[in-house]
Amino acid sequence: MATTPGQIRPWRYLASFVGVIAVLYSLVFFTGDGAITPKLGIDLQGGTRVTLEARTETGAQAPRDQLLQAQAIIQQRVDGLGVGGSEVVLDGNNLTITVPGDDGEQARSLGQTAQLRIREVVGGPVAAAPAPATAPAVPSDPAAPAEVAPADPADPAAPTGTPQGAGLPVVETDVAPVAQTTPLTAPTPGPTPEPTPAPDAPAADIPDAPADPELAAAIDEARALRQSTDPAVQQQALATLDCTANDPLRGYDDPTLPLVACDVDGTAKYVLAPILLEGTEIAGAQAQPAQGGIGTVVSVQFTTSGAATWGAYTSANIGKNAAFVLDGEVVSAPRINSAIYGDTRIEGQFTPEEAQDLAGILRYGSLPLSFTSSEAQTVSATLGLASLQAGLIAGGVGLLLVFLYCLAYYRVLGLLTILSLILSGAVVYAVLVLLGRWIGFTLDLAGVAGFIVAIGITADSFVIFFERLKDEMREGRTFRSAVPRAWVRARRTILAADAVSFLASVVLYVLAVGQVKGFAFTLGLSTVLDLVVVFLVTHPLVALASNNKVFGSSKFSGLGSAARMGAEHKKATAAASGRRVSTTKGA
Amino acid sequence: MPSVFARLYTGTGAFDVVGRRKTWYVAFGVLVLVCILSIAIRGFNLGIDFTGGTQIQFPTSGTTTPVDVESVRAVYERAVGEEPAAVQVAGTGAAQSVQIRSETLDAAQLVTLKDALFAEFAPVGPDGTPTQTAISDSAVSGSWGDQITRQAVIALAVFLVLVTVFLAFYFERSMAIAALVALVHDVVVTAGIYSIIGFEVTPSTVIGLLTILGFSLYDTVVVFDKVKENTRGLLGLSRRTYAEAANLALNQTLMRSINTSLIAVLPVLGLLVIGVGVLGVGTLADLALVQMVGIIAGAVSSLLLATPLLVDLKLRDPKVREQAERVRMRRLRAAAPGAGDPDVGDPGVGEPGVGDDAVLATELRKEKALTAASGVPSRPGKAPAQRPQANRPTGRRRT
Repeated sequence: MATTPGQIRPWRYLASFVGVIAVLYSLVFFTGDGAITPKLGIDLQGGTRVTLEARTETGAQAPRDQLLQAQAIIQQRVDGLGVGGSEVVLDGNNLTITVPGDDGEQARSLGQTAQLRIREVVGGPVAAAPAPATAPAVPSDPAAPAEVAPADPADPAAPTGTPQGAGLPVVETDVAPVAQTTPLTAPTPGPTPEPTPAPDAPAADIPDAPADPELAAAIDEARALRQSTDPAVQQQALATLDCTANDPLRGYDDPTLPLVACDVDGTAKYVLAPILLEGTEIAGAQAQPAQGGIGTVVSVQFTTSGAATWGAYTSANIGKNAAFVLDGEVVSAPRINSAIYGDTRIEGQFTPEEAQDLAGILRYGSLPLSFTSSEAQTVSATLGLASLQAGLIAGGVGLLLVFLYCLAYYRVLGLLTILSLILSGAVVYAVLVLLGRWIGFTLDLAGVAGFIVAIGITADSFVIFFERLKDEMREGRTFRSAVPRAWVRARRTILAADAVSFLASVVLYVLAVGQVKGFAFTLGLSTVLDLVVVFLVTHPLVALASNNKVFGSSKFSGLGSAARMGAEHKKATAAASGRRVSTTKGA
Repeated sequence: MPSVFARLYTGTGAFDVVGRRKTWYVAFGVLVLVCILSIAIRGFNLGIDFTGGTQIQFPTSGTTTPVDVESVRAVYERAVGEEPAAVQVAGTGAAQSVQIRSETLDAAQLVTLKDALFAEFAPVGPDGTPTQTAISDSAVSGSWGDQITRQAVIALAVFLVLVTVFLAFYFERSMAIAALVALVHDVVVTAGIYSIIGFEVTPSTVIGLLTILGFSLYDTVVVFDKVKENTRGLLGLSRRTYAEAANLALNQTLMRSINTSLIAVLPVLGLLVIGVGVLGVGTLADLALVQMVGIIAGAVSSLLLATPLLVDLKLRDPKVREQAERVRMRRLRAAAPGAGDPDVGDPGVGEPGVGDDAVLATELRKEKALTAASGVPSRPGKAPAQRPQANRPTGRRRT
């Protein structure tokens, strides 16, 4: 029989494990920003997490490109909060916004759809200045492109330029081109309602007043002043409106009433007529080079009904200005040069970037999808810290219990288990830090639970191996000769069992939503690393131990009774069937 | 006969599990029936993730006014004008916190409530100063739980399919079926226990339920691996029947099964104690509880349900029945005076069969070749010295 035990080279395996550890930890210490702690989820460090579920009318999966667009828009809004480490993750139909720290409350309103509307300009633009509008028309906002000449404030209706580009009907913007910086609305200031389910078809109804009484009062006041149908009040509003202050009406203007509004740069003020078209009537918008080759224009397509309204309006109002209003701010107010029934081009002295931004707002100013907030959670840093501690303690207690059990049950072999578990922990930690750095993996409470549960899985591999050892010894083998045989048989079982665990984790990770992913991920990760440790550490260590007197002694190894049984059995079979020992295998 | 524990420890228990399989079937049948009835009639105690609602939590340590359930209720009623659904103080020591659960609050109510709570209790933040941000809150729409449940059901289905494929490749068909039945049992019983006891079901629970599947199979794989080994080449011999071989495998792996389950339960136990003790209810406790229930159900079913079922499935195969008959005949003949058959002289002990040893030998040779190829040449003289000793215990003559 070719059973030659002790022939593996334990030191080789151990050396390669040391190599793995060395590589991992040099990556941890010498690459990236050198931060040696894993990224923590908001439930461990405090912060706000909002899960937005994309709503489609059929309940089907929303188109991926629209989800990506929405993600980009919301990411921009989140960045506008100015909290470091904020992120927006797309996960199936969900967008998960994570804002660490205590300043994330505002994140709850980020999923609100910004309202893009087209209104007729009936008054203005009046240059806005920090002081009431008596100051000369000097753009006070450095963000406003310098080359743009503000229209003559006295007579906005008078044509100030000649139509450029023949062929396509155009509107020309010579006022308030969109600024490059943050074209999208910043979040509503102050406590805001969690996004109420956005209507599927944002009709021109009055937005609900926010729930915060202070804000609601401010809105009522602003509506009374700035949405009045009385021209005198409008003029007064135009004069007193301060474009540098936060606008309580942002997102809460009544589309059926006139509106006195600032442009997005805060450089000009307008009196606008009631709504002409909803942003949803815009079918598309692209930035493209102007036909003459100089500059960039934005081409806008309307839906069929939108095109009809737009055509009727433009044909009746040539020379006037129309304003594209996003959440109560004018993003562009081009002058109408001719009746336009088809594609519309907005011309102006845009840089390509400005044109792109404007096109983006016109297309997606309203998010491409409507979202409902399915989960909004703010965890205080105190609670986060408590959770982290509890998780660590739970892990510690779990480890300790397993240690004690292994020591009691397997005696000195238990020491090997403990050593393997500790080494396994070292690998897991390094991988965790690296994954946080490379793929932005964040460890959350469920993830911690995954690791703790995985302690059991890791220890199980040893149990399978050791119990196998016992089996072999019960059949009468010495510890030394039992190790390789037990290993070969245990290896198969360990691989199969780990494969099942891993399969479960992968399925969970791919299909589960929300925080559960963390659990599945850490569980799967531990399972894989368990294999590494069992193959590279535990087995070689046991093989080494089998050549060692202390480990081999039946007194210490915890395998004593199995060995005794084996010995007894050998004797018994030898005595009982003396002449035909060979037919019965040692049991 | 050694004590039960010693029999357990050494795996020579001779517990007749397979023989009493009718009893197990009845017991499991009743259990599953009760569980299904409870699920159908009582249903589950669903958490706010499924019903929708708002949950507010703040630490009690460092508050200006001692926090108790009554005073929190009073503040809540003053601020919101209604009764909260539940108020509880959870956890211990520095991590103790108050949890308020209610119907979904709108933002205005939430702001008012947080103001009122802060004015009354002034909980401190991590830096030790009172701050309103020490108050955590989470609002969940009723659709969130539905979404999680839907995904969980999809995950369950996909997992079952994949596992069936895996088992069909790794084991034989009847083993795959038996393992799957045990798996379904575990899910039903765990869900049933949740329904009967009325533990709260949260998304963490639903997910925890899915990871149980992994554990359940893990246990079954360990047992079936041994069954497979014990029954290799069985049909060609007439030493013991399939049922006996399976029962033997069960006994031999009994300690292993108990150990793996126990070791899996220990950390979960830590999780449960700490999760509930320090934090009170929450993700940790939810995950731990469901795993605890599931692991125990999984261990029991892998021993008492999966293996007996496997035997019954196997007995549908005429070849296995024939072999069982041959064993019976042989035993009858052996029982006749004077006709001692050496083949039956060793009842109740493992017989991995010839094929298995050959496989093992190949594996060992391979491993040896691998290490030899990757290592420095072994010191001459040492290996031969080991050989005779190592070879001896197999007790097998090579001819």
